[in-house]
Amino acid sequence: MVAQNIAFGVLAAATSLAAIRVVTTRNVVHAALYLVVVLASVGALYILLTAEFVAAVQILVYVGAIVVLLLFGVMLTKATLGEDDQLDNDQRWLGAVIALFLLGTLSFVLVDAFGDDKLPSLEGVSRATLEAQRGSGAVGDAIFSTFLVPFEVVSVLLLAALVGAIVLARRD
Amino acid sequence: MDVLSGPVAGVFRAPDVDYHAFAPELVLVAVLVAVLVVDLVLEGRGRRLVGGLAGIGLLAAMVPVLTLAVDGANRSMVGGAYVVDDFALVFKGLFLIAGYVTMLLSSDYLADDDYYEGEYYFLLLSSVLGMMVMASSRDLISIFVALELLSIPAYMLAGWRKRDLKGNEATLKYYLLGVFATGVMLYGMSLIFGITGETVLTEIGSKLQGPGASLPLVSLGIVFVIVGFAFKISAVPFHSWAPDTYEGAPTPITAFLSVASKAGGFVALMQLVFIGFLGRDDVWQPMFWVLAALTMTVGNLIALRQTNIVRMLAYSSVAQAGYMLLPFAVAGDLAKGPGAAMGPMTTYLLIYAAMNLGAFALVLAVARKTRSGEIASYGGLFEYAPGLTVLMSIFVFALAGIPPLGGWYGKLVVFKTLLDANTPWAIVLGVIAAVNSVIALYYYASVAREMWMRPVPDGDTTPVRVPAGLTAALSLCAVATVVIGVYPQVVARFGDLAVFSLLP
Repeated sequence: MVAQNIAFGVLAAATSLAAIRVVTTRNVVHAALYLVVVLASVGALYILLTAEFVAAVQILVYVGAIVVLLLFGVMLTKATLGEDDQLDNDQRWLGAVIALFLLGTLSFVLVDAFGDDKLPSLEGVSRATLEAQRGSGAVGDAIFSTFLVPFEVVSVLLLAALVGAIVLARRD
Repeated sequence: MDVLSGPVAGVFRAPDVDYHAFAPELVLVAVLVAVLVVDLVLEGRGRRLVGGLAGIGLLAAMVPVLTLAVDGANRSMVGGAYVVDDFALVFKGLFLIAGYVTMLLSSDYLADDDYYEGEYYFLLLSSVLGMMVMASSRDLISIFVALELLSIPAYMLAGWRKRDLKGNEATLKYYLLGVFATGVMLYGMSLIFGITGETVLTEIGSKLQGPGASLPLVSLGIVFVIVGFAFKISAVPFHSWAPDTYEGAPTPITAFLSVASKAGGFVALMQLVFIGFLGRDDVWQPMFWVLAALTMTVGNLIALRQTNIVRMLAYSSVAQAGYMLLPFAVAGDLAKGPGAAMGPMTTYLLIYAAMNLGAFALVLAVARKTRSGEIASYGGLFEYAPGLTVLMSIFVFALAGIPPLGGWYGKLVVFKTLLDANTPWAIVLGVIAAVNSVIALYYYASVAREMWMRPVPDGDTTPVRVPAGLTAALSLCAVATVVIGVYPQVVARFGDLAVFSLLP
């Protein structure tokens, strides 16, 4: 388990540092790129937890779509490329206090609830069992049985979002 | 290993689908696709046709709701995640009717508006569909997806007047605060899922009655989820979007948001609190107490100072949400069990829907002539539009809770719940609510005074032309408001029906 622990430490440190840089950097493009580091590291953490489907979705959706959308947004609007002092906000100290408070509260309740729990050991578990329990196949089965209704509703949701976005963005 | 022949292939069993139970949603999906296609084919020339189609579609979806109600069986599907019972049917009926009234209000509003797009009706139907799904959703994932489906079209409808700065402000505030609240709610759901390992509310409910339910993590999860929906129902301090959004959005959408969207939030809250979080009333009861007291008081005090009728109605609807929250704040102390709080909330919501939709319909009718939203522009309305004046008086006094108009019965059942609980906290809350009702009477009555006693501000006394759709909507709401007030058993029956079986 040493390798996993080291990997977790490295990824956690990378995530935290990059996350701090996202909000402290004065360059919008840099902020977006730091966000890539944050989201990709979180994806790597999912792999450590043997949730490879979630990891793939994380990379595809967050890094692949959302950050690219963000960069397009920066490009298409009149945001300054490069250093921009206006990125700062007068309420940053209030924001920092609230963020620290939230961090403290969440850390406390999470450690309180799960602090002594250990991840189940995977030794002796066959690969086939593992895939049956949490492989992409299991996710697919759940989507088309247990979560059939939300899955179908999401299709209408995406259609509505698409149509609405085009209407709002269209020049008329 | 090949993906298709993985170890789980062959084990998969398609779930049984009860098409009768899904019929209202399926009809609505068919209609919204039809609306989109018809508008595409007619290229925007069929304003009336598309609007009519959408309206008929909403009424058509009402048919399976009624057949399901006659059938009367509780239908529970996909492991209890999707339930069609009387509770769900009462609210599906409410959402369809509210959607239909919004459609009536919209057709004339859009007929002489530069901002017409056929997609308007499509998005409105999508939002109604989200509410219908919400009424049946009994698991966290379905609730989240339904919330998104009812919210995302609403965000875009709020900004429909896209060259209007106020419209842009409306949609941006609504959207940003909305997604923030959704994020908080999702975090709460993930905490609750993390501790229970379940998404179905009944399972969560029984897990939260067992050991480990008193963890601070569970409390935080519950608080986060409730905060997410407190935004949706515009409870103070999560109300700051409401007045600006209501003012900037097209008025039919404002009516829709203030009634249907708010009811959607309440439906979700009732399902979450009375099924999933039932065992933890020590967390949600004080929280709802504070929310209810703040929402009533702040909403009413700010409404006092408004000079714009839409903003006044916005703050008034904030305050009304406060009254609707009252039963939550005492639910755990009721002798008949927490479920007894659901009837009064449903009753209040149904009555509120009739009178608030009516008030906004009237604002639309008057604005056709005055082109203004100022309360002062209602001066002397009686001289040139006596019919509208009487109707508006009915709606504002109903909102204030004056018998024999609808609103009094809603207030009565809510206050009765507080008295049934009979704890010191419930009594204090009752006193706060009573004081607030008096404050509210002042600003509702000031609209009436403006209409009946003040002179016409610009001396223009040409009559107001009210188109047929608007007349129909106004009559519907007025009849409902008066009938409910005189014969409240009509809604009381629905209120009694709309109680789902709670956990033992």
